[in-house]
Amino acid sequence: MSARKRTLLKVIILGDSGVGKTSLMNQYVNKKFSNQYKATIGADFLTKEVQVEDRLVTMQIWDTAGQERFQSLGVAFYRGADCCVLVYDVNVMKSFDNLDNWREEFLIQASPSDPENFPFVVLGNKVDVDGGNSRVVSEKKAKAWCAAKGGIPYFETSAKEDFNVDAAFQCIAKNALKNETEEEIYLPDTIDVNASRVPKASGCEC
Amino acid sequence: MGGQSGPTMDSGDFIDESDYKSSAQAVKSSKTIQGGSSSLSGSESGKMMVGNGGPDSYEVVFVKDNVSVHPTQNASERISGRLRLIKQGASLFMTWIPYTVKGGGRQGSSIMKSAEKDRNLYTIRAVSLAEMRSIRRHTPPFGLQYIIIVLTSGLAFPPLYFHTGGVREFLSTLRNHALLVRSNDDSNVYLVNDVQDPLQRSLTSLELTEVTPVAVVVEPPPIVTKKDETVQPVEESPASTSMQTSVYRQGPRREASREIINVLEKFSMVTKFARDTTAHLFGESRLLGNSEMDFDRGPMRLRNEGSVSKSTGELPPVDGAQEPVKDGKEAAAKDEGKDTKKAQDEESEKQKRIANEEASTNVGSFELVDGTKNDTPALVWGRARPPPLGHEEWVTFLDREGRVVDSKALKKRVFHGGVEPNLRPELWKFLLGHYKFDSTYAERNALVSSKREEYKVLQAQWKTVSEDQAKRFAKFRERKHRVEKDVIRTDRTIPFYEGDDNRNVELLRDILVTYSFYNFDLGYCQGMSDLLSPILYVMEDESEAFWCFAALMERMAPNFHRDQNGMQAQLSALSKLVQLLDTPLHDYFKQNECLNYFFCFRWILICFKREFDYNDVLRLWEVLWSHYLSEHFHLYMCVAILKRHRRKIMDEQMEFDTLLKFINELSGHIELESTLRDTEALCLFAGEKGAACIPPGTPPSLPVVEVDPFAVSLESSQNL
Ligand SMILES: Nc1nc2c(ncn2[C@@H]2O[C@H](COP(=O)(O)OP(=O)(O)O)[C@@H](O)[C@H]2O)c(=O)[nH]1
Ligand SMILES: [Mg+2]
Repeated sequence: MSARKRTLLKVIILGDSGVGKTSLMNQYVNKKFSNQYKATIGADFLTKEVQVEDRLVTMQIWDTAGQERFQSLGVAFYRGADCCVLVYDVNVMKSFDNLDNWREEFLIQASPSDPENFPFVVLGNKVDVDGGNSRVVSEKKAKAWCAAKGGIPYFETSAKEDFNVDAAFQCIAKNALKNETEEEIYLPDTIDVNASRVPKASGCEC
Repeated sequence: MGGQSGPTMDSGDFIDESDYKSSAQAVKSSKTIQGGSSSLSGSESGKMMVGNGGPDSYEVVFVKDNVSVHPTQNASERISGRLRLIKQGASLFMTWIPYTVKGGGRQGSSIMKSAEKDRNLYTIRAVSLAEMRSIRRHTPPFGLQYIIIVLTSGLAFPPLYFHTGGVREFLSTLRNHALLVRSNDDSNVYLVNDVQDPLQRSLTSLELTEVTPVAVVVEPPPIVTKKDETVQPVEESPASTSMQTSVYRQGPRREASREIINVLEKFSMVTKFARDTTAHLFGESRLLGNSEMDFDRGPMRLRNEGSVSKSTGELPPVDGAQEPVKDGKEAAAKDEGKDTKKAQDEESEKQKRIANEEASTNVGSFELVDGTKNDTPALVWGRARPPPLGHEEWVTFLDREGRVVDSKALKKRVFHGGVEPNLRPELWKFLLGHYKFDSTYAERNALVSSKREEYKVLQAQWKTVSEDQAKRFAKFRERKHRVEKDVIRTDRTIPFYEGDDNRNVELLRDILVTYSFYNFDLGYCQGMSDLLSPILYVMEDESEAFWCFAALMERMAPNFHRDQNGMQAQLSALSKLVQLLDTPLHDYFKQNECLNYFFCFRWILICFKREFDYNDVLRLWEVLWSHYLSEHFHLYMCVAILKRHRRKIMDEQMEFDTLLKFINELSGHIELESTLRDTEALCLFAGEKGAACIPPGTPPSLPVVEVDPFAVSLESSQNL
């Protein structure tokens, strides 16, 4: 159990609906892009084995419904996250403006032990659209925001063209792992889980 | 519930000193025992002896009053009676005789009459212990205790609810007279006469069959035949709880025969449920009938009984009653009408095959249902599922002006058989509440055209927003953008919505944007496009689709409220239902912090839209919208699906994440018909207790204040 805990990295992807969260996740894990992904209802995740430096880890990437209306579900899904990926659409200003909200909402709901240093990564997606002509958020503006939030790593991506997606997730994994090793100090959590499982296996249900 | 229902109930073994005392007391203090012989009441041993101790004498070793059967959810239909264990010679019999209600009640006489018939038909005249395979006790922390008795045939009696406790005493008495082994798989299941040693087993069964009539239900048990040849039907005898009348001799009477068929259907439904749940819940391959394939016995026996009475209207001939059970199948087929004979044969063949499979596998029958999915539509609880409702039949539901005469019957019809595709545009408007059932043709025509105008006006409200105006109208732009993002990813693989520049995709957008103006406070929310898509597909008309969608949203809107109260209410009701219907699974979820049931979020939010292929969604929604058994049938369906996979969930120790993944990946792999059947059984089985898990106003119920009186009267008179 503790072995599993050590190698499982939980990553949450957040951002307005339609910015390409599901597409990015599928591009990264399945190397596929489809225009047919349905709007995400509830939540789902994909897992992928990744090599980070000398370690093999499993990344569990969570994709949730993007509409604010479903944010109250967050608590259940965000808990135990090791990294949070904030996605916006470089062609939609509002999706960038909302990054603040998403970040705050995440910190409130996931309530990580050290919010100041919790790892975020920001992705500006759909840079392929219209050859970049319909772009409304500049790279400079995005990077400034990231710097202001304590130096959040920033990537420009295209899930459609598979541009920069691997690099972005490699960074996500690295940051998640950093967070994870720091948290491992608090092991009692893990031990409890193990202990409570013993009677269950013996089939007692009173 | 008394002292017996405490938490100690589940923890310890049931046999102990105090149990014994109370068991004896139950017999002693039972003042209601009446009968021809005064010696029946109050013998000091707490037992009642009749006769001289010879082979014909019997003694009542256990009596419990206020044990009831709940045929439907309807409170007025609960049938209370007295449960007894009767010993004759070396054999033990169980009887459950419903009380006769004197002088009727405040209810309408027709209801009373049918209740009386139910009473008669649910009666357990005498079942030998040798016929019992297992007993499952259910002692929930709240609510009533009940037991389900599964027969060796694989059938079971409907749950017997102990209103004043006493399940423990019952079991401890039984243990005194028979070999009762607690199942290894579930401590709430007791196997009756489950002798491990094969030699001993055959000896036991030999010994027991000697004294057991083969067809107990039809034939009088040996105890009383001699004493009493003329037996009064229970319903005509106020003192019918006496020993004499408990004997079953009379065949169902002519005028009751139709009801008998109904009740037998109900019965077989409940029994199938009991078998499935018992087997499936507790993984007891032993419960699924033995290698002699006597699985066939029960349903055939019941059907035989019913059809004999149907064709002759008389007492079943003694020969018929005593003919070996395995011939019951042929007899049943013979007695059915010619046109149904073939179906019957096929059904028998199928039953046999299922029995074979069950006998040869170790999986529960839920899995088996999956395995035989190719021919499942043939059965709705032992009866052929009616074909979808078509035009010809539909008009028979209407009076000359076009009013639906009996909306309840219509709903029932739709619930069981669905609707033919070409009738859907019409029928769905009723089901969704856009058309009132009591509206006339003329009124509906008028409604269609006035609503068409109204829709145009609504649509114009945003279609006339100029580009210039839109620039300064962020809320509008965002809303439209949000809708557009979703419609282009809604059901695009369905030919109706396929391809670039699809007109129907535009219609989806137009309707949703219009709706967000019609209901501006609610606006657009993800999931709505999923709900609209099949409606537009069926209606093929923009205005009609809009109004049907709007009618659906009257019920579903709370699913999309910002505070998520509608979803929370349903998820919490679901949690209670699972607790009621599958306590171990509930406990498992609790241990694993899965009680928020978020893994069922998608199921509920959009009514399983993403879980089935398109045509199945249409069929399912008709069933759900009929609101026939429950407005919350979808919640029972969640339970049914979870139950089907309970073993996997618990065996693999799924946690929140793996469980969510598992549930999400069930999409496209849920067999609809068998799931509906399971759900129907669960829903009936849960009855009032199930309904009590779901607070009033839980979506998709209409807000309580807005229910029109017509709907109320429908609801309250609803029964099977
Ligand atoms: N051109 C382009 N379209 C994209 C890209 N990523 C996603 N999309 C499209 O944007 C829409 C929304 O994508 P989706 O992944 O479902 O967004 P989500 O709601 O954030 O999960 C879909 O039609 C995608 O095909 C991208 O990088 N480039
Ligand atoms: Mg998505």
